[in-house]
Amino acid sequence: MSHKAAKIGVTTLVLATVFGVLLYTTLGESMQYYKYVDEVVGSQTDWSGKKLQVHGYVVPGSIGKKRDALEYRFQIQRNGKTMTAFYNGITPDTFKDESEVVLTGVLTEEGFIASDMTAKCPSKYEAAPGPAGR
Amino acid sequence: MASLGYYLLLAAFVVGAYATAMSVAGARRRSSPMIESGVGAFYLLAAIMTAASAVIVYAFVTGDYSIRYVQRYSDAGQPLFYKLTSYWGGLDGSIMFWVFLLSLFGSAAIYINRERHRELIPYVVAVISVVEMFFLLLMVVHNNPFDTYLTESPADGAGLNPLLQNFYMVIHPPTMYLGFVGLTIPYAFGMAALITGYLDDSWLRAVRRWTMFAWLFLSIGLGLGMIWAYEELGWGGYWMWDPVENAGLLPWFTATAFLHSVMVQERRGMLRAWNVSLVIVTFFLTLFGTFMTRSGIVQSVHSFGQDPVLSKLFTIFMVSMLVFSFGWVIYRMPLLRARNELDSWLSREAAFMFNNWILLFCAGFVLFATMFPTLSEAITGERITVGPPFFNQWMIPIGLTLLMLTGIGPLLAWRKSTVINLRDQFLFPILSGLVIGGVTVALGVRIWSAGICFAFSGFVMGTITQEFWRGARVRQQTTGTDIVTALIGLVGRNKRRYGGYIIHVAVVLLFLGFAGAGFKQEESALMTPGQEVKIGDYVIRHNALAVTDDGRKQMITADMTILKNGVEITKMYPARWFFRKHEDQPTTEVAIRRTLAEDLYIVMPQFDASQQSANVEITVNPLVNWVWLGFGLLAFGTFIALLPESAFTFAVGRVPESAKTATASLILLAIVLPAAVQAQDGTPGPLVNKTTMQRDAEGRIICMCGSAGCVRSPLNNCPMRPACHGYDAQVAQLQKYIKEGKSEDDILSAFVKEYGAAVLAIPSGGFSSVSWVLPYGLAALGLLVLVVTARRWTTQPATAGAGGADIPVDPTIDARLDDELRDLD
Repeated sequence: MSHKAAKIGVTTLVLATVFGVLLYTTLGESMQYYKYVDEVVGSQTDWSGKKLQVHGYVVPGSIGKKRDALEYRFQIQRNGKTMTAFYNGITPDTFKDESEVVLTGVLTEEGFIASDMTAKCPSKYEAAPGPAGR
Repeated sequence: MASLGYYLLLAAFVVGAYATAMSVAGARRRSSPMIESGVGAFYLLAAIMTAASAVIVYAFVTGDYSIRYVQRYSDAGQPLFYKLTSYWGGLDGSIMFWVFLLSLFGSAAIYINRERHRELIPYVVAVISVVEMFFLLLMVVHNNPFDTYLTESPADGAGLNPLLQNFYMVIHPPTMYLGFVGLTIPYAFGMAALITGYLDDSWLRAVRRWTMFAWLFLSIGLGLGMIWAYEELGWGGYWMWDPVENAGLLPWFTATAFLHSVMVQERRGMLRAWNVSLVIVTFFLTLFGTFMTRSGIVQSVHSFGQDPVLSKLFTIFMVSMLVFSFGWVIYRMPLLRARNELDSWLSREAAFMFNNWILLFCAGFVLFATMFPTLSEAITGERITVGPPFFNQWMIPIGLTLLMLTGIGPLLAWRKSTVINLRDQFLFPILSGLVIGGVTVALGVRIWSAGICFAFSGFVMGTITQEFWRGARVRQQTTGTDIVTALIGLVGRNKRRYGGYIIHVAVVLLFLGFAGAGFKQEESALMTPGQEVKIGDYVIRHNALAVTDDGRKQMITADMTILKNGVEITKMYPARWFFRKHEDQPTTEVAIRRTLAEDLYIVMPQFDASQQSANVEITVNPLVNWVWLGFGLLAFGTFIALLPESAFTFAVGRVPESAKTATASLILLAIVLPAAVQAQDGTPGPLVNKTTMQRDAEGRIICMCGSAGCVRSPLNNCPMRPACHGYDAQVAQLQKYIKEGKSEDDILSAFVKEYGAAVLAIPSGGFSSVSWVLPYGLAALGLLVLVVTARRWTTQPATAGAGGADIPVDPTIDARLDDELRDLD
């Protein structure tokens, strides 16, 4: 019995180690920090060169687009902190004033250079607007 | 009206409590009147829920906007169909719909099993009632769908978001719910078996069919969700490991594991504790999935409300459910000891165990990665996300292993396979796998995951063909009929086994479709009238932009001509629609041209009406339709496996039965493949302004970073992007060469000089040949079988011995046949 237990133990240990090492290496390659706008504003230098996802809301009236090109410059904010963001490409349908967006890219002195943009999809399970309860 | 609905919910809660109390007390005192009373109350609960559902549907139809829920999810102008389906359109109603379905399902399960599993019934009633009570409690205290406006009520409803008004979004949720709700039944029976201690295999027999049924709906639900994402969202794919998708996938993994391991217990009396644990875990995952998609605990592209009260209630319920369930498992451990030891690793039970471990690992991994942001925030305080590449990196090799096991399992004998036995069984499948693999490589496929996938598919198909062929041969000899009748008889005789094999074929089709995604080509461009864009074998010409209005919406439609090899094949019309009152949220209408080999998929995210120009994203998706076909076949196989015993006459090829099957599959096809392409809402990927040359070159150069995740993909399709270090370096190099003014050939040769010939991606033509030969071959085969079968049925209504009884035969029929045919179902 103890022989069997030892076998199982060793197998588990080996598998767990292999899994752990694989996980560690693959995680390192695909991790991205996920921050809200107000968490990174003012600490640009801490984040320079790091892959980052920034979550915030588009400031109304701030969206500017170059004519004949898909280059956007806009502001995103959360809790009163704002920052400028640049994005080059096709925007989602739901990208407009006040929409909730998640940008992926790098933070620089001028602003956030986004390589990818997702705007929140409508969902059936959004919380009801206004006060809940009877 | 609203208060009537609310009181019905309250009444349902009270009746549920009564049913629970009576059943448990009756079971403990062995009082059959009490048990009967509990069962009666259980049926009553279903009746009350039906009445409550009628109330809310009535409110929707008559437009009773004093009810908040009705006001929020419908308006007067909505078509009746959407009014009816708005019932499950929001959070509160979806919970109510859930309880309604569960009460109906539970009643059906109790009614069917009331005689056969008498001893389990009271506890089954109690367990299901408690689950229902939890959801009823949620509604009564927190998410009441019958909430009314205190002050004056609005004259009209706000209307369901137009982005959610489409066919798939209407039928996808109830299908998923049917799957989720159905999985509560096995859990209830498992718990009843644990509590009563009747842990023989009778509870398994009671739930086998229910699990299969729930599994079928879960699969169809996942498939519909994928079709919806593909046709409506407009980003060119169908799966991106979003938490919402994963929530449905988690219980699917464990339910699949259970459907396999249940056979080990039936045959060998092993894995008893494992099976009951799987049932518990599966049920837990259905709850967890629901919790995840409604409580705002995970970040997703979907916006979910942050609902702390709901989270708290759910957490309490889930934790107590786990503690209670596993408490019983531990308590009953002595009764759950295996009756047999594993004899050999070369046995079918070992293969099933591997299959189970891998499926469970899948569930664990997906759960871990989905929860990773939440976990990392809890542990380190930093919210860190992992993207789809991370999932793919892990799930591709795991999926391929699973595919291989699909081929190996059926070839191994129970208990122990001998060497002779192995050679006999594996020769043909391995050969077919090698041939397909060889052909794939010869045709120039250089993406290892896809190549392996094709080879494994060949292996699995070899296995299944061999199984069908050998079974049919033996049956042909014993019954003296022709091979086709024998084949039908074989399936009829052992529906679960051969239905299972059909599902395996479906899995192969799914994997072919998944592998096709590796050869996806993408292109984006700003097109003015007359301009052409080349992608794959296609040339897309933009003709003009039309602005029309149908009263409900303004439509901007691009008119595009598609040429293949210089010949015009079709016209396509990607569009943007601006609905009245929702002008700020235009919807993206995808244009798709489907063929079995590949889809041409065009989206127009932006346009300029004054210049008639359109920004388009064009995708060529090879083999994507095989995914949908796979889901259709999977449903068909499950249907065969689910046929009741009375359908045994099917074995002799009676026409009525076969007609039934055909009708059912037609219905399924009708659900799965409607061509209603009215794409809406989109989050298309980024457009990077690149020169045509760079784009072209990126498609021809393979990412050489050496990371396992890159799986030798071309640069423009590197799955590790944007986190891939090799990708960045190579692209930088490419851009440098382009700046230096080198021609494309010069660039390619420069890359070859640096990285070796392996850097070049597939020469065009190689893969497309495979995609041509393989699907059409399979389709032709299927058609042939269909035609021959149809002929048999019409010309020879009943040839084989009645009832398909085995005529005693000479002992040359080997023991294997006996062994397998007699016991498997």
